[in-house]
Amino acid sequence: MTPVIPDRQAWWVLLPLAVALGGLVLLATAVGSVSVPLGDAVTVILARLGVPATFLASLPDPKWDAIIFLVRLPRVLGATVIGAALAVAGTVMQGLLRNPLADPGLIGVSSGAGFGAVLSIALGFAATSSWSLPVFASVGSLVATSIIFLLAIRAGKMGLFTLILAGMAVGTFFGASTSLVLTFASHDSIAQFLFWSMGNLYNVRWESLQLVALPIGGGIFLLLWFARDLNVLLLGEEEAQAVGVDVFRTRLVLLVLVSAVTASAVCISGPISFVGLVVPHILRLLLGPNHRLLVPAAALGGAAFLVVCDLVARLALGAQEINVGIVTALVGAPYFVFLLLRSVKRGIDL
Amino acid sequence: MVRGLRCSLGGTEVLRGLDLEVNPGEIVGLLGPNGAGKSTLLRCVAGLLPFSGQIKVRGQPVSSSERRGLGPRELALQVALMPQNTTLTSAFPAADVVMMGRYPHQGRFQAESAEDRRAVKNAMAFTGTEALALQPINQMSGGERQRVLFAKVLAQDTPLLLLDEPSSGLDLAHQQLTFSYAQTLASQGRTIVAAVQDLRLASTFCTRVILLSQGLILAQGTPQEVLTGQNLEAAYGVKVRVYVNLATGQFDFHLDGAEPSETAPLVHVIGGGGSASSVLRLLTQAGYRVTTGVLSPGDSDLYVANVFELPSIVSPPFGPIEEAAHRENCSRVREADLVVLCNLVVGAQNLRNLEAATHANELVVLEDQPMSERDFTGGAALDAYSKLTARARVMRSAEFPRWLKTLF
Repeated sequence: MTPVIPDRQAWWVLLPLAVALGGLVLLATAVGSVSVPLGDAVTVILARLGVPATFLASLPDPKWDAIIFLVRLPRVLGATVIGAALAVAGTVMQGLLRNPLADPGLIGVSSGAGFGAVLSIALGFAATSSWSLPVFASVGSLVATSIIFLLAIRAGKMGLFTLILAGMAVGTFFGASTSLVLTFASHDSIAQFLFWSMGNLYNVRWESLQLVALPIGGGIFLLLWFARDLNVLLLGEEEAQAVGVDVFRTRLVLLVLVSAVTASAVCISGPISFVGLVVPHILRLLLGPNHRLLVPAAALGGAAFLVVCDLVARLALGAQEINVGIVTALVGAPYFVFLLLRSVKRGIDL
Repeated sequence: MVRGLRCSLGGTEVLRGLDLEVNPGEIVGLLGPNGAGKSTLLRCVAGLLPFSGQIKVRGQPVSSSERRGLGPRELALQVALMPQNTTLTSAFPAADVVMMGRYPHQGRFQAESAEDRRAVKNAMAFTGTEALALQPINQMSGGERQRVLFAKVLAQDTPLLLLDEPSSGLDLAHQQLTFSYAQTLASQGRTIVAAVQDLRLASTFCTRVILLSQGLILAQGTPQEVLTGQNLEAAYGVKVRVYVNLATGQFDFHLDGAEPSETAPLVHVIGGGGSASSVLRLLTQAGYRVTTGVLSPGDSDLYVANVFELPSIVSPPFGPIEEAAHRENCSRVREADLVVLCNLVVGAQNLRNLEAATHANELVVLEDQPMSERDFTGGAALDAYSKLTARARVMRSAEFPRWLKTLF
């Protein structure tokens, strides 16, 4: 199979990004409330990867092994996977809607997940099984997204405006339902939901990674295959149709993939805002509009961004960790305002 | 091939039953006023709009609202459309945009093939856009952008090309260029259907034209057959004069107001040798009923009179004005509310025109050079002329338009 990447030049962007991501992952596993010497961290990881002891400088220290393998590595890998998922989903949404301010939230993923999460917490399932919340959240987001699609599809067509408006209506409805459930919920439940809704990576374990690795990995992989279609769609609906893109089918497939990828991410981390907005936008400014480069770059860049944000969240206030969603929002919101102001200045109506 | 094509947009029926057939190597021009259905027809053939009826491209049906035919990708291998208004806001380099024309040729899991690259290169060479290859499309001038989009349509490499007003917004040279591209392509056996606003371009470059009006075909055939004043008036609702431009040999079109009313003042113009042309045009456009005479065949004044379909009295050249023509001239002069004697050169052949002018009720003489310089009769013309000017209003040709406005 030939690569989906346009040309050799692209590797000059993607390869350094991948190397930087690898370095950040390593750094993030080593640094924390207890710092592990970088060499030891490498040794632990290599040993776990099955490299025979004879090739290693020293034997892995069991103390480091526990910290790195059981606690940090799943969390950092979680940040990697979720960051990649959110950034790729954002890139695709922005390309699809031809609007730099679009994100997967528009198709109801987060509001639906929120409603699922609050149900699982309020009904007490979340307390009995650690699987309950992610499952409820993903079911909630899929239900919300499906309703939006059903509303937006009419006579074999899907208008983007209808989609956005339906998304707003359904999102608002699910948001209100969430608030309604919270009205009758206990203080503990409210606190638990609030914590979830700020987005965090505390609870990422190997099991939760196993749960989402396939949908996210598979989803990103499939989205890469549609990069060319995304490029052509940027020319406009009729132009795309005229060169043979089945606009309706392509849009539908892309939106389903985006919602699956986002829902998977949201179900283990809660909604982490602005990753899907900031990362694609910076990359578009740097790399241009070509999705065959943008989508893989967003996967790597989004992963790196969230790994760094998570590191900041763990270290910024010393012993008191903050939710990574707070960090991304603190970075993302000012940037969002900057984008908004710039668009207004250029006379683009949002 | 199109049979019984109907198409509705937003509740109004834009195409109301069209039948047409286009053969390989033709350049077919779709003409008609705004809203006649030109773009809609093209978009139906390109599979962009639901329609009822039948469209077949090389024997294969295009999907209609009633039955399935060629899918988007299969159709895009047969038909390429260059839409009228493309909103290009993204910063793709020209070469990437042209490569998008190769979309139907590429499998989802394939990178660009050598053939794709060759097609893009050829298309850009053909339209002279190679130098723009790396420039972002949204930063180009209108002419450059249009040529890049043309290259994209070419790269699609289809037997049928649909161009929706390909020269709109282009300067004179680029308009011409676009159609000469089309001509070259047609000579290579490709088929081109273009919506065209410019009748002159259509009559020059199209092998056949189809005149649409309110969703129906009003006329189709060669430009000569279709582009008549009558057809154009029916389609556009205004009086259009159609004539052959003597200098270029091309069809030319002139728009003027409605037919003069029965009660409009009657003006008879005596000229010849080109002296009356601007006067005839001026009076016609101002809404007068105009007659002219006596002229001889080949005179450019007669050519102008024919373009405006003015009654004119003609006498054979190289001899004095015949008796019958002279008598008719005199009676026209008597009938007229106003007679205009232009700055004509007088010789033995047309001397009797001055004699006829003496019967005028109201006479205006346009004089740019003294008659002594225009008299080739050895004095007879000068005599007759001075008798005329004694009782006429004399002015320079340049003053005539303003004077006319003060009249009636």
